[in-house]
Amino acid sequence: MVNDGTFYFDEKLVNMREQQGPLATTSSVVRGLTAFSSVITESLNLTGDKILGIAKFFLGIGIPGDTKNFFDQVDSLACLENNRVSIPLILSLPSTVISLTKKDSLKVKVNTVLGSHAPPLTVTLVRAFSSSARDNSIIENQELKFDPQDAVYFLDDLPASFDVGEYIFVFKMLVQDSEQQTVYATGTLTQVPIYVTGLIKIENAKIAVLDSDLGSVETQKKLDLAGESTVSVSANHLQKLRLSFQMSTPLGNAFKPHQAFLRLRHETKVEHTFVVGSSGKKFEITLDFLGLVEKFFYLSGRYDIQLTVGDAVMENSLLRDIGYVELDLPEPPENASRPPPQPVDPYTRYGPKAEITHIFRAPEKRPPQELSLAFLVLTILPLFGFIIGLLRLGVNLKNFPTSAVPATFAVIFHLGIAAVLLLYVLFWLKLDLFTTLKTLCFLGVFLMVVGHRTLSHLASASAKLKSA
Amino acid sequence: MAKLLLYLTLATSLIPLFSVAFSPENPTDRRVLVLVDDFAIKSSHSLYFGSLTSRGFQLEFKLADDPNIGLQRYGQYLYDALVLFCPSVERFGGSIDVASIVDFVDSGHDLIVAADSNASDLIREVATECGVDFDEDPAAMVIDHINYAVSNFDGDHTLIASDDFIKADVILGSKKIEAPVLFQGIGHSLNPANSLVLKVLSASSSAYSANPKSKLSNPPSLTGSAISLVSVVQARNNARILITGSLSMFSNRSGVQKAGSSIKHEKSGNEQFLTEISKWVFHERGHLKAVNVRHHKVGESDEPAIYRINDDLEYSVEIYEWSGTSWEPYVSDDVQVQFYMMSPYVLKTLSTDQKGHYSAEFKVPDVYGVFQFKVEYQRLGYTSLSLSKQIPVRPYRHNEYERFLPAAYPYYGSAFSMMAGFFIFTIVHLYSK
Repeated sequence: MVNDGTFYFDEKLVNMREQQGPLATTSSVVRGLTAFSSVITESLNLTGDKILGIAKFFLGIGIPGDTKNFFDQVDSLACLENNRVSIPLILSLPSTVISLTKKDSLKVKVNTVLGSHAPPLTVTLVRAFSSSARDNSIIENQELKFDPQDAVYFLDDLPASFDVGEYIFVFKMLVQDSEQQTVYATGTLTQVPIYVTGLIKIENAKIAVLDSDLGSVETQKKLDLAGESTVSVSANHLQKLRLSFQMSTPLGNAFKPHQAFLRLRHETKVEHTFVVGSSGKKFEITLDFLGLVEKFFYLSGRYDIQLTVGDAVMENSLLRDIGYVELDLPEPPENASRPPPQPVDPYTRYGPKAEITHIFRAPEKRPPQELSLAFLVLTILPLFGFIIGLLRLGVNLKNFPTSAVPATFAVIFHLGIAAVLLLYVLFWLKLDLFTTLKTLCFLGVFLMVVGHRTLSHLASASAKLKSA
Repeated sequence: MAKLLLYLTLATSLIPLFSVAFSPENPTDRRVLVLVDDFAIKSSHSLYFGSLTSRGFQLEFKLADDPNIGLQRYGQYLYDALVLFCPSVERFGGSIDVASIVDFVDSGHDLIVAADSNASDLIREVATECGVDFDEDPAAMVIDHINYAVSNFDGDHTLIASDDFIKADVILGSKKIEAPVLFQGIGHSLNPANSLVLKVLSASSSAYSANPKSKLSNPPSLTGSAISLVSVVQARNNARILITGSLSMFSNRSGVQKAGSSIKHEKSGNEQFLTEISKWVFHERGHLKAVNVRHHKVGESDEPAIYRINDDLEYSVEIYEWSGTSWEPYVSDDVQVQFYMMSPYVLKTLSTDQKGHYSAEFKVPDVYGVFQFKVEYQRLGYTSLSLSKQIPVRPYRHNEYERFLPAAYPYYGSAFSMMAGFFIFTIVHLYSK
């Protein structure tokens, strides 16, 4: 038996290839039971609670996704709907949230497992108590009226003392016809948690900056928590910030919400959250900055103030940006703790990077081309000067050998010198050293032979002249 | 008889082609192990499992403390992905424990972890290993009094309707999720120093994580949008992990109406949200591969072994994205290549031809050394591409400089005028009287 009133059978794992699971097991038990009970003449001795527990198990698993499980569920419910042991009756509430502002009324439905109508019943609200004060029951033994149109039992008006909050309602149902009481299984008491919600009044909200020693108010501003206006205050570390407001239920009682936070967020997104304490209807929080300087990591600047008040039974939970406070805190000492790192926005983390193009080294500066050409002309000029000078000196070619053979040799000699000079030019233009040297070898040898002939002829000619 | 033999040999030789398990050519997972607390989850979460099986996954359901479960046998992993739908397990059965799960993820496999309001320490430990910290209070749930889902049965505002999704089409699909997502469970926070983890669904700024049954005296440690409801982690080896604090988010749910809004959605956004994010986690989307990295001098087509400074070169790469069934060309305008030696000398955005081919041309810098072509591509939700190809760069050879410089003309002129003068002189000197 599980705590929530359901009852099911499970299978022990005995070397079966496929585990059946509690649903299949329980449904086969139910099928067997109802089939058996419809055949035999005596009635089986089973308490109504067990049948009700099995019915609640099948209804509690929702809609199974597996077709076989769904068939098992619906088939077992159909067996339970009309069986000879006892037919379970299920008490359900269409809504467990009652709103005081909408003036909802408490509605209860009693049906068989497949939803068909139950026989006439008396449904009684045995007890209703707040979940925080279990001994103090607010309603006792109230019978619910039946609305034949919707087939619901309802409590038309909650008593005036019903305030917002969490309650537990305990119901009991009894078949009106005493003979049919054994046919149906109604169970004993059914406990249902109910939330009664309403609008909570928040008023008298103020924010004030106090001087720490004397407690005197330096600035005080009223806050309009229902509207959108924001305030701005400024404080330094010697002062205190006080926020206060009052909350009351629709019936005027004190109310303590589950969530009452004051959040201060710095420009660098560092946040600090505080719980707003209360005494009765008055809610107040005082932030003493002298003690909080270290907690705030010595960060001065603008802090946005946000107030969040909420509760399960509050229909007007609020999250309000109240404004900001300019806080002036002293400089952090050497060993102060750094504020925690803030998360990096994922959208900016993954962007493309800036493009980089390489800046090439500037080539060395060269003189302008005109300068080089000018100097080229200047270097060629001495050659012309030389030629002109030679002509001025009166050079001639009178000593050129006249006879054929020496003349040829002389011509070939000078052609050879020209060839060597041409080879130098070719080397400068495109040849490499190896071919040049090779060619130079041949030309050199040739030139030596020819030059020897020519120069020896010239020498002998001048010797003849001298001796003559 | 001979025909039968022929068919038999043909069939057996084709068997290797049919194994479409997790492999670099086919990155979608196939075999998934689902560990559950009890088999009723198969039924209550049938829509989610049905969506997985309809996309071709083979799910194997086992109880979390079944003594026969194991992730690997003889060194081979039996499954491609692991789904932990067992928030209350105290000890895994068989050979599975936190260390083996971490090894499983380290070897590149995917993981889905769903905790719930009674999450055991073991599941919390698994989540911490993945980089996500659940609220330490075991009875805490995420409560939001402003963005809760209007419901007739859950009056304590722990069922939250959230629509603060991450803006990433690759993770959540291109179709906008209209309805909010229902969530009921515990929240977690992410370490801001962790750069691999992303908040996919965050709570609103009025949410906080506390025990709904007891009053608060101290401010809770998790408040506001620092609470993450669903997070994903993409590890450096491209294994993907999904972590969430609500197992009931995966269950078959119906409509939703957010408090404060009058729109009643018939279907909550859970199904679309979870289908799309499961597609991402199981590598059906957002998985990139880069092939065919080539570089050559402009005008040539073969790859040289060395470049010279001031060369014009062209770098090209092809990037494909896995679509679940095939490799589709990946189109984007922010893939960049770096020419890198200790620091990037050139960083250029590659231009694409819209069919997955990316190329860029640039001039080799005039610094010589050993460079690398680096493509480091990391985008939100995509696997990271990290390509690197080494190439040396040499300076000019002696014969690659300018041949004839105008500044040297005077020198040329002087040499040749000397040669001409010598020729004239030889003639004149020998033969003049």
